[in-house]
Amino acid sequence: MKLLVVEDDIDIADQLAVGMRHLGHLATTARTGAEALQATKSDDFDAVILDRMLPDITGDEVLRQLLVRPSRPPVLMLSALGSVSERIQGLQAGADDYLAKPFDMEELAARLQAITRRSVGRESEGTIAVGALHLEPAGLRACFKGEAVLLNRKQYSLLVQLMRNADRLVTRKMLLEGVWGYGFETTTNIVESNLSRLRTKLLELGCEAIETQRGSGYVLRSLSCS
Amino acid sequence: MFALMMGVAGIAMYYVARDRLVENVDRSLDRERDRLIPKHSQSPASTTSVEQAILRVEAGRTITDKGHAIFGGDGRQTFGAVTLKLPNDGYSDVLFREGKASKPREARALVVPLADGSRLVVVSHSEVVEDLNDVLLPLSLALFVTALMGGLLATQLLGREIAVRLQQITAAADEISRDNLDSRVPVDRLDGIFRVQAQSFNRMLDRIAKLIATQRQFSSSLAHELRTPLTRLLGILREGGRQDLPNHVSNILERAERESASTIRIFDALLRLSEIDAGRHPAALRKISLAAVVDDAIETVEPVLADANCDLKVLAIADVTVIADAELLVQVLVNAMENIALHTPAGTSAEVSVFQDGKEVFIRISDDGPGLPHEQLETVLQPFERGQASAHVKGNGLGLAVAQSIVHFHGGDLRLTNNMPGLMVEIRLPMVPA
Repeated sequence: MKLLVVEDDIDIADQLAVGMRHLGHLATTARTGAEALQATKSDDFDAVILDRMLPDITGDEVLRQLLVRPSRPPVLMLSALGSVSERIQGLQAGADDYLAKPFDMEELAARLQAITRRSVGRESEGTIAVGALHLEPAGLRACFKGEAVLLNRKQYSLLVQLMRNADRLVTRKMLLEGVWGYGFETTTNIVESNLSRLRTKLLELGCEAIETQRGSGYVLRSLSCS
Repeated sequence: MFALMMGVAGIAMYYVARDRLVENVDRSLDRERDRLIPKHSQSPASTTSVEQAILRVEAGRTITDKGHAIFGGDGRQTFGAVTLKLPNDGYSDVLFREGKASKPREARALVVPLADGSRLVVVSHSEVVEDLNDVLLPLSLALFVTALMGGLLATQLLGREIAVRLQQITAAADEISRDNLDSRVPVDRLDGIFRVQAQSFNRMLDRIAKLIATQRQFSSSLAHELRTPLTRLLGILREGGRQDLPNHVSNILERAERESASTIRIFDALLRLSEIDAGRHPAALRKISLAAVVDDAIETVEPVLADANCDLKVLAIADVTVIADAELLVQVLVNAMENIALHTPAGTSAEVSVFQDGKEVFIRISDDGPGLPHEQLETVLQPFERGQASAHVKGNGLGLAVAQSIVHFHGGDLRLTNNMPGLMVEIRLPMVPA
């Protein structure tokens, strides 16, 4: 991926650039909003990592100016402003995702993947499918090779998140935000416990598609769904 | 108070009026004396001449308010159409009778010594003076009563006027504290002291708004200022983690990384707490089914409780409608049930029930675990307080404080009680018609 990192703090900008390169991406840095707007005009990026507080214009303003262009790269807003209302403001301003500082490099990479790459799965008329695995939203059912299993709403939502991002890492944090909401805080292993129930249900169908990535999250393998 | 003053004024009026009348009567007594005893005579007049003068005067009158009597030197009445006891010399108030049978009547009397030691008594019976007592006292009493009634009525009306205006201000103030601190009490409909009061109230709001703005600015800068170095720190620690280091060093780096991350989590929870407390949390308040929220929370936590070997029983769940932000309420219930998974030993049973009482709904989450000492039931709801027994358990000590704030935000209340054995979390929420 070709990334633009917009961040005024040199240390953090360097960490970001080094971290992204480490994960195999190309990273260019911009220190101000003006630089960012200029860079996105002259070059094509797969995604922009945008700090919300910049020395010249705000990240929100950069976003507003990007939004009026005919085409723009997806934007992940990265900010020290981590409260729920600030996240929601950032998303309402048009950001494709929002991550509060301090962040985990893998978390950031996973989110960038989620907002850039096209989904492997097919989603049409309310049904989602990956290979032979498909969901029936009306009955909260997962079907695999002619067999169906009933899920509860949490299991169903978890599976939707994983299927939409098939073959990509979906972090625990992404699942928590996607299923329980942006402001949801937990002190227990809610994601793990619920996901293990989902995995058990899928195993009943003979589907072993959910893979655990130690320490970071889960991947639904499309190959295991065929 | 007003009535009392009016009563005093009435009494004073009575005395002043009476004095003036008495003075008038006394002057008429003087004139009568002058008629009987010629002024130019230097020496006291003789009794006989006075008696004759009396007879002459009385004969010339048909209707008179004057009576006359003469007393001998021994103090016995020797002459006159009226009978009375001899008063002291000069003017005095007396009782007298006209003829033998009539009732004693009030009058003013003037006693003049005569030449032979006998005394002339001129009595002026004035209807006015007599009536004064009959009229003025009841009059002042009436005045007192009227003033009392009037005063009470005026107080009532004034009180009501004040109450109406205070109510306007109070209503405006409540609205402001509930909705937003940017609006002010409208002053144009108020006058006088109320206008002044409302203005002073508005000035106070200006001050509070400024303080809150400063505080928000402070939290937000603090968030930024702390997060940025922590982000750098985490970056450095992770960078270090990637190096080829001896095991014990990378363990230390890992621990340092975890601690920094938990510092940030505490910070997030604090921000969240202050946001909810200040009513700035982006809540999507709408009419929702409470049963659906409870189901959602149970679905979420049930596998967590099962993994912790705790048993969850769902008792009767009354389906009522509440105005709430579903996500926030789920958070509260999940948090309460997570505490069971975190703070009770394996084998604990928990129960959830929802019942309606009047216009309120109660959600009860109880367990039969070790519970909390009585004195901690309230303190654990404070930020950073945790039960002593659970000091080693993870959690930042803000969970229940956040839960409490969320419930308060919804106009309800959260309290902990002893479940004998175990702990019960009871959440009270106002209901609305479906």
